[in-house]
Amino acid sequence: MIDFHTHPLLVREMIKKHPDLKRIAQDIFYIRNNPQPLETFHLELDVSGLERAVILPIDAYTTKQCRIYSNEQIAELCKMSNRLVGFASVDPHKKNAEEDLEFAVKKLKLRGLKLDPSLQEFYPNDLKFMTPIYSKAQALGIPLIFHSGMSWEPKVKAKYSQPLLLEDVAFEFPELKIVIAHFGWPWVLDSVMLALKYPNIYIDTSCLYFDNPKDFLGFVMTKQVPLSLIEKSLRHKIVFGSNYPRVEIKNMAGAMRSLGLSEQCLNLIFSENAKKLLGEAK
Amino acid sequence: MKIKLEKLEVQTRKDQELVDITSQVEAVVKKSKVKNGVVNILTMHTSSGILVTEGLPCLETDIINNLSTLAPEGSGYFHNRYLDIDGRVAFNAPAHLKSIISGYFAFFPIENGKLIKGSRQRIYFAEFDGPLARNYCVQVMGE
Repeated sequence: MIDFHTHPLLVREMIKKHPDLKRIAQDIFYIRNNPQPLETFHLELDVSGLERAVILPIDAYTTKQCRIYSNEQIAELCKMSNRLVGFASVDPHKKNAEEDLEFAVKKLKLRGLKLDPSLQEFYPNDLKFMTPIYSKAQALGIPLIFHSGMSWEPKVKAKYSQPLLLEDVAFEFPELKIVIAHFGWPWVLDSVMLALKYPNIYIDTSCLYFDNPKDFLGFVMTKQVPLSLIEKSLRHKIVFGSNYPRVEIKNMAGAMRSLGLSEQCLNLIFSENAKKLLGEAK
Repeated sequence: MKIKLEKLEVQTRKDQELVDITSQVEAVVKKSKVKNGVVNILTMHTSSGILVTEGLPCLETDIINNLSTLAPEGSGYFHNRYLDIDGRVAFNAPAHLKSIISGYFAFFPIENGKLIKGSRQRIYFAEFDGPLARNYCVQVMGE
């Protein structure tokens, strides 16, 4: 079982080696909890009944003058734990960013791409601007996860992260597997429409913007959309994500399991769909 | 009078658990060389506690279960909101309430370099929102 959406921002061993990561976590990513040893990350997975986690960086060098983990740092952390699956990020404003992506996948062995249109300030449907990166990701056969919907970071705009902006990407790059993060909240129905229509669009569950995980996921997955829709039509298109450390994995996993989905559907969401995206299953 | 302070870390391994820290506290007292005085033990977190009880696994389970009855998970907490000081939504009011019920500290007299405590009394770090690496203080005062 896999958590498809985590950020390793509070890993103490990495902050000791790279002290600027603490400032970046607090001031740019805007998470202010205390750093924890890597062991806490592993234990958090254990108590949640999960084996592995995808760890995501964000290259915001042009817009925020920092990388919220560089690709090299993600690779470094992955060497410390065989339970972590590293993704890359590239700065869309950098010339030849697609070459950075190729290096990250082929040399650093990272297994997907994370982009955050709000932090990185680009419109995903600006295909003239983004085609080199999308083409490279498609050619490399890696999944592309987009931050979608609301952001917690200050001085960051949601207008770049509306899920509907991904329709052009899915349309023009049909072999590129796209994950809409955070259920695209508050644009949940837009996200659902895209995942229903486009075979290459997926949704991750890492959304919590008020109340608690159980109530919030219950609101999104049983009221904003009926649970039966997920069970019948989207069971192959949703992956479990927690957004750790903004939310503890244990709470999001417990919330998912409390919704009333069938065991078969939960197995797809927690395990099989993520394996498929990672190229580990067909 | 000597005053010795040590800050210790404990890695909790579960969502909720009681971790026996008696031997760690005794080691700090011994190291301080204080023969007569007091020792204070306090947690540095508001979702954990320090409590003293008999060292039995069954009792540890009963304490966790009953505190969960007194401060249940649920929707009715005002604490369930975005906390800008942490950059995330808070939803752990039950852990804070359990911390209040259990208390955040314990103290024992020291005589002839040893803690004065009942033979069955054990000192526990109480985790209510783990797993986490947690900090607690042991302060020894005396002569």
